[in-house]
Amino acid sequence: MHAHDGGTTPARRLAAWTGAIALLLGYAWWAVSRPPFSAAATAAVLLAGAAGAFIGALSRGRTEPRVVAPRGGAWVVLGAAAGLWQLAAFLQQPRHEHPTLSSLANALLDSQPARAAAFAVWVLGTVRLARR
Amino acid sequence: MTRLVTLLGYGAIALAALGLELAARRTGRVATIGQALDAVLRRWPFRLALLAGWMWLGWHLFVRVDWR
Repeated sequence: MHAHDGGTTPARRLAAWTGAIALLLGYAWWAVSRPPFSAAATAAVLLAGAAGAFIGALSRGRTEPRVVAPRGGAWVVLGAAAGLWQLAAFLQQPRHEHPTLSSLANALLDSQPARAAAFAVWVLGTVRLARR
Repeated sequence: MTRLVTLLGYGAIALAALGLELAARRTGRVATIGQALDAVLRRWPFRLALLAGWMWLGWHLFVRVDWR
C-alpha cells in the first residue's frame, strides 16, 4: 500500500476534509444568524449556493455512457401527490391545523444549531445536484 | 383536514417514497430516485430549473423566516 497517492497522503486528505467541513459549519453558523428577510441573509444563502453549484460543476466527471434507466413514472406520481397534499394544506387555515412542509421545517429548525446543520446539508445537497 | 390527518398524509407519502426506493433497488424494474434525477438533469433546461428550485428552497428556509 502506497503512502502517497498523486501527492496527497491520507493524513493530508483528512486534514483538508476536516478544514472544509469546519469552514462550511462556521459559514453556516454565521449565515443563519443574519437578520431574517435581510439583504445580508439573502446574499449569504446565494453565495453559498453559487459556491456549492460551482464546486459541484467543477467536479463533474467526463460524460459517462448513457445507461437506459428503468421507468421513473412512479416518482412523478409521488411528486405530484406530495405537491397536491402540500397545496391542500397551504390553502387551508389555521396553519397549526393544516401544517405545510415549511411550517414543519420551521418547527424543526427552531434553534441556531439545527438551522446551521440544515444549512450545511443544503449546501452539500447543492454540490451533489450540480455534480450529477 | 386536521393536523393529524395532514401529518399522516405527509407520512404516507414519505413511506411510499421509501418503499419505492427499496423496490427499485431490489427489483431494478423501477428507477431509483438517483436514476430519476439523472434522467431529469440530462437536459439543461430541467437542470437549471431544478437548481433554481433548490436555490429557492434555501432562500425560503434560511432567509424568509424569523425563527429567533
